[in-house]
Amino acid sequence: MQLTLLLQPDGLTIRVDEKRLDAAIATAFKDRVRGLIARGGPHVTLDLGGVEFMDSSGLGAVIAIYKAMPPGRQLTLTGLTPNVERVFQLTRMHTVLTIRKTGDAPEPPGDPDPGQKRPEE
Amino acid sequence: MNASPEPAGSRLRRPPPRRQPMFHRIFRADPATVRAALLFLRERFDGSAGDEVIAKLELALAEVLNNICEHGTRYEALRLDGRAHAPLIHLCVARHVGGIACAVTDDGRPLPPSCLAAHGLPWTAPPPRDAEAILLLPEGGFGWFLIQDLTASLSYFREGRRNFLAFIVPVTEPLLQNAPAAGTT
Repeated sequence: MQLTLLLQPDGLTIRVDEKRLDAAIATAFKDRVRGLIARGGPHVTLDLGGVEFMDSSGLGAVIAIYKAMPPGRQLTLTGLTPNVERVFQLTRMHTVLTIRKTGDAPEPPGDPDPGQKRPEE
Repeated sequence: MNASPEPAGSRLRRPPPRRQPMFHRIFRADPATVRAALLFLRERFDGSAGDEVIAKLELALAEVLNNICEHGTRYEALRLDGRAHAPLIHLCVARHVGGIACAVTDDGRPLPPSCLAAHGLPWTAPPPRDAEAILLLPEGGFGWFLIQDLTASLSYFREGRRNFLAFIVPVTEPLLQNAPAAGTT
């Protein structure tokens, strides 16, 4: 499984270089990402821009990663392709997870105020 | 090839052109074989309906096939080599007027009737960023909700040692005329 780790001053971005986030890799994906998150930085971005297909196993892995975020750290999803976005919307998970649309400016660092949450369509 | 415009109704009544895609494959239930089957399916059906329809077809089938991999294995029935009996899946998909018809059969454990009962989401939306609510979010249980949401005419029966599941992924566009990717607005 291919993941790319990009370190930033205030956190890290994990880019998923897999076209399919499905049952064949969901468990390994979850374990690998959780290991990378442990490397530190308050802001973690999961870049799904290369993922063309995701099923409910992939969704479950993303939710598990989100739930396992250490206190005080925040997970943001970016780069959702239409097929991936559909799964989040059908399951209503887009109302809970933090999703940044491509082209949006990143949220101000260090401000996890719920009032700042960007409304999703 | 007759390219002259005509009302959609008469086009739908006409017998389908000969070259509508269909697909049949037999494989042992496993996440890797499921992935291979879905990749081949997408290759064959791309352009036969709108992109969104093909994506829904792929997702619905992925959920059905994943369920067979995850829950179908009969551990009490060992094969000759001592491994558990992973179900043998027969998958048949055909483009019809009004939808893409799918039939999935397997010789795994019977499908529990509760799977076919009306499924809601396995959770209700908590207030965003409520830490305790987030910890209660389900990590699974979405499969049958998605299948029921994406498909129509879902039907199931068990005959002998096999499960038979059939459904349609609805398509509103008329059948395409030998020209994939053309007119798929």
